[in-house]
Amino acid sequence: MSYLKRSPWVIHYDGTSCNGCDIEVLASLAPRYDLERLGVINTGNPKHADIFLITGSMNDQNREVVQNIYEQMPDPKVVVAIGICATSGGIFSECYNVLGGVNKVLPVDIYVPGCAARPESIIDGVEKALKILEDKKHKLVAMGLGTEILAIEPANIEDAAEILALQKLAYQSEAELYNDFAFPPLMQTLSELKEDFKTIIFFKAVMNGIIIGSVRGYVKDDTCYIYRRIVHPIYQNLGIGKKLMNEIEFHFGFASRFEVFTGHKSKRNINFYERLGYRMFKCEKVNDKRHRVYMEKFADRI
Amino acid sequence: MKIFISIIAYITLAPFLGAILAGVDRKITARMQGRVGPPILQPFYDVLKLMEKESLVVRKSQNFYVVFFLIFIIFTGTLFFSGKDLLLVIFALTLAEIFFVLGGYKASSPYSIIGSQRALIQMMAYEPIIILAAVGMYMVTKSFYITDIISYDKPLFYFLPGLLFAFIYILPMKFSKSPFDLAYSHHAHQELVKGMTTEFSGRSLAMIEVAHWYENILMLGFVGLFFANNILIGVALTLSIYFLIIIIDNTFARVKWEMALMSSWIVGLLFGLGNIIFLFFVLR
Repeated sequence: MSYLKRSPWVIHYDGTSCNGCDIEVLASLAPRYDLERLGVINTGNPKHADIFLITGSMNDQNREVVQNIYEQMPDPKVVVAIGICATSGGIFSECYNVLGGVNKVLPVDIYVPGCAARPESIIDGVEKALKILEDKKHKLVAMGLGTEILAIEPANIEDAAEILALQKLAYQSEAELYNDFAFPPLMQTLSELKEDFKTIIFFKAVMNGIIIGSVRGYVKDDTCYIYRRIVHPIYQNLGIGKKLMNEIEFHFGFASRFEVFTGHKSKRNINFYERLGYRMFKCEKVNDKRHRVYMEKFADRI
Repeated sequence: MKIFISIIAYITLAPFLGAILAGVDRKITARMQGRVGPPILQPFYDVLKLMEKESLVVRKSQNFYVVFFLIFIIFTGTLFFSGKDLLLVIFALTLAEIFFVLGGYKASSPYSIIGSQRALIQMMAYEPIIILAAVGMYMVTKSFYITDIISYDKPLFYFLPGLLFAFIYILPMKFSKSPFDLAYSHHAHQELVKGMTTEFSGRSLAMIEVAHWYENILMLGFVGLFFANNILIGVALTLSIYFLIIIIDNTFARVKWEMALMSSWIVGLLFGLGNIIFLFFVLR
């Protein structure tokens, strides 16, 4: 049995909140609602915390702070966005300096809407977060014990149908982000994908015999082009994307330059590649809705 | 054989007793603040949860020091509860604390360094009083051996009321409670995040918690020496002193380190040394 549910320690960060939600978060810890009866402690220290409570919308100044706190929290961890500003940006979402809700920066597990969110709904959100926390723990344990073995291996043409299905699932959130459902990864047909297998190397992440992630790449003029790194939505944030990247970079270790691209609004992808050592060098307009950001990394930086 | 049993009893029972005392403490604190409070077994849940979490470290050696902190606390406790020399107990306890402080320094975060510095200042504050308590007990019973001290026919606090007061004064430092929770505390986020334990997570933090349970039982045992001639009354008085510490914790605000150091030295000099000088003339 897991004890995560019995002792969730929280850290509370105020983005650009008006303090309404902050006061309600603290009110749910104070005598009337007393979250501590469920074992909740407000730690104030990311290294001790299990649940990250964020209030307020994200902007370019607090983006790095929020990411820093998130990365300092030990696994398993969950993120709870509290209040409508943290959920979507609320009435401030159109502001020139507001990126939007927390999900523009971090993977959010629970949304607690409201302006301000009531302590009852915050407690309910924390309660729901505990279930997700436990699920994440089970997945991590299963991966650690080897009952769910994660294998990263080259894919072949028989996997094409499964990879295509996964690709369409994984790119849904991107398509929603840009409101562009004519996205090339969503439009690709099976025969086109099978054609790709002739020129491109595919890698797949397999768990329990099911493909849950994939990445592809090829080398041209000493540069390795990596693209379409996809992970099944329920297996995201478990380090699978990073393992796929490491595998394909290792496979193309002879190349002196690596190049990836992503959409200009996909901040999380850009951050992900930055952590792996990639730097932005070019931004190109694809259509009215979408720009493409190109990022590169040189072999001596690996 | 008896020594062997008491060692085994301490090693196995002390963490349970310590955790239950910590749970009772949180419950009583919650009730004092008009809250319901967590279950009594909450400290167990916390530690078991910490065992399940990932352990992030700044430097690997910081965990090494924590292991030695735990080992030396257990060593000190077994010395104490098997009735060995009180002076040796005090020095071994100091060594254990020093390992913890080194761990805090090794993590090299500004908060853990501030916490470690404050822990050293606190040690400067309480060590004289603990040693004076041992000296006072020696003057009454003519022995540093705990077996001799507890078999003395009168309760020691008849002779050492000043030292008992000084000892209670420094107990919040050992339990890391207000007004002396300077080095690390659950309630000082704005000031020092989590002090010495800021950079510890997962298993090493669980080890620190378990070491504190051992240490709390050891300190309560030390308090019990003042009332040792009758076990039942001794346990009752020791627990009521623990309750007093909880009341103090909820009543007072955190003080600055200057105040902690100066006040405990003044109390130590006036009540501790005064008591010993008084004994010197009375028992001559």
